[in-house]
Amino acid sequence: MTGFPVGITALVIVTLLIFIGLAHRALDRMRLSDRGALAVIVAMIIGSFIDLPVPGARYPVTVNVGGGLIPLGLAVYLLVKAGTARERARALAGAAVTALAVYVVGSLIMRGLPEPGGRYEVLDALWLYPLVGGVVGYLAGRSRRGAFVSATLGLLAMDIGYYLWLLARGAPAGRVAIGGAGAFDAIVLAGILAVLLAEVVGEVRERLQGGPAVRGRPEPLLRALRKPDLGKGGDEE
Amino acid sequence: MALGLGLMLAGLLAWAAFVRNPVVPAWSWNFLFGREGEGDHLVGRVYTIRDESGQVVSQVSRRVTVGDEIFAADGRHYRVVKVRGEEAVARFLGMDEDLLAYRDFYRQLAIPAAKAPAPAQPVGIYHTHSDESYVPSDGSESIPFKGGIYRVGERMVGKLTEKGLRVEYDRTPHDPHDDNAYYRSRRTAVRLMQANPLALFDVHRDGVVDPGYYRRIVSQQNVAQTRLVVGRENPRMQANLDFAKRLMSYANSVHNPIVKEIFLAAGNYNQDLMPTALLIEAGTHTNSREEAERGIALLADAVPAVLGITGPAPPGAPKPITDRTAKTPGSYKALAWLLALTLLGGGAFLLVSAGSWERARQRLGRFFGQELGGLPVLRRLRMKGKLEVREKATVPGRGDPAENREARERLEEIRRD
Repeated sequence: MTGFPVGITALVIVTLLIFIGLAHRALDRMRLSDRGALAVIVAMIIGSFIDLPVPGARYPVTVNVGGGLIPLGLAVYLLVKAGTARERARALAGAAVTALAVYVVGSLIMRGLPEPGGRYEVLDALWLYPLVGGVVGYLAGRSRRGAFVSATLGLLAMDIGYYLWLLARGAPAGRVAIGGAGAFDAIVLAGILAVLLAEVVGEVRERLQGGPAVRGRPEPLLRALRKPDLGKGGDEE
Repeated sequence: MALGLGLMLAGLLAWAAFVRNPVVPAWSWNFLFGREGEGDHLVGRVYTIRDESGQVVSQVSRRVTVGDEIFAADGRHYRVVKVRGEEAVARFLGMDEDLLAYRDFYRQLAIPAAKAPAPAQPVGIYHTHSDESYVPSDGSESIPFKGGIYRVGERMVGKLTEKGLRVEYDRTPHDPHDDNAYYRSRRTAVRLMQANPLALFDVHRDGVVDPGYYRRIVSQQNVAQTRLVVGRENPRMQANLDFAKRLMSYANSVHNPIVKEIFLAAGNYNQDLMPTALLIEAGTHTNSREEAERGIALLADAVPAVLGITGPAPPGAPKPITDRTAKTPGSYKALAWLLALTLLGGGAFLLVSAGSWERARQRLGRFFGQELGGLPVLRRLRMKGKLEVREKATVPGRGDPAENREARERLEEIRRD
């Protein structure tokens, strides 16, 4: 990307900054401190340049550190840290539903002769994944973490399914590069955008219903919610 | 319940797909894992786009949506305003100023004689739909994993190499032929980007049924024309469009009309990765592959000049995209869009989550106080009392600070969940 005019270079840099800003905002919300979130982003960017080959596979399979290992590791960490077994099961079910929905829409509906995206192409697959992951994650547990796990593990399941498809078809060639596009891989984009989507949906819903639901919520949460000046001096943003 | 809802959603999507396609294949596991999943031989529908006086503007084999745009080779600019069945109506938006300017410049421009030294940066080429083939030459429109499109790609590589360019050609297949193929090819595109390319080309063939639609005699050769596709679902679309306009204008000035048009379609096509990433449709499946090969070779002939490989542009001509001082109005437009959307989206979210203007303003002030307060310059200013930052943790008569802090920590913990 060197040697381009100022306009293009500025565009690339600003896009990167906005992307990193959004990623930080999303990661910040998932059992990570401000610095922890930043460390994850830096690790993803550096890890983008490292591909780990998976030995013993019939077709070349690689896992990119920045685009695969770190986001998937984070998803597993969130699963392990989930409060209850039920929550864990919901997140995993969300991932399965995401994989299925993405497969049905991206591979069964949007395929065929029409160019360049197959028939019924309305939304590019790249934007479809976070949408499905975010909606499913939200439905599965009204949780940002659920959205992240659904989106990232759902796409991992797609990649595993693709490897099995290559085997079943006896493909003469093929490659499964999990997270191969590094920090710009659909796995990372889907995870981050799904969290932001779940957050937007959650906030809008809460606003529409005139504040957070209080029935059946634990007392410490309610006490915290009642405080009018809690955010002051805190790291709410 | 949530799982049920999710499954219902997936079911609805599947149902919509099958209901809209009247010919339903019998169910079998093959449908999921077999050959039927690779191409769709049932669909050969073509959408005809006409202007408001009924003249045909374009034909496309994809679903046309309101908002799709077309830039014809002569500079006419249309936007689709109505779609009914397979007929779409496009409104003429006038002649595109950029295209007219490029065309006038390039008309005066002789093909540069001086050959510049080969650049260190390559051009990347790959095929997202690696099964695409040409019926008259290959016997089928789809040959999984090794479509005739590879021969077209090889021809492009050959021509670019002949012109002194270094080419990174990635032959990874991304079958089956579906929209998820872009998910797989995104990784190939990024792999190519590691070589720091000047441009990325994803070479396809179209699915329009009529071979005459693309067939022309260009530079005394029977060729299939090309179409450049720019994805609209791409935050940096304007920059890619700028590149497409340059390429179409210059290519048509040396081999008129080798580029039929620029089509702005729904989709991203991995073009968010690079401002010089383009999707090329080389003819359609009913053209012969040889026609498509000759067509793409003529297009490739024009690529080096647009990328600035043939040396500096003469006075008066537009500078190549690799010139640091070249004008790229598309980039600034994209930049403005991106910033406006970010501010608008961020502002709307802030307002919704805060609940009122006043609280949104307070939050914003607090945010800048915290995030930027650490900067030495601002800290000094604050020390001097020039910058007011709200730091009060308590409101008179509402509990003690320790309790507040405890509650805040608790709330933050809950928020992270």
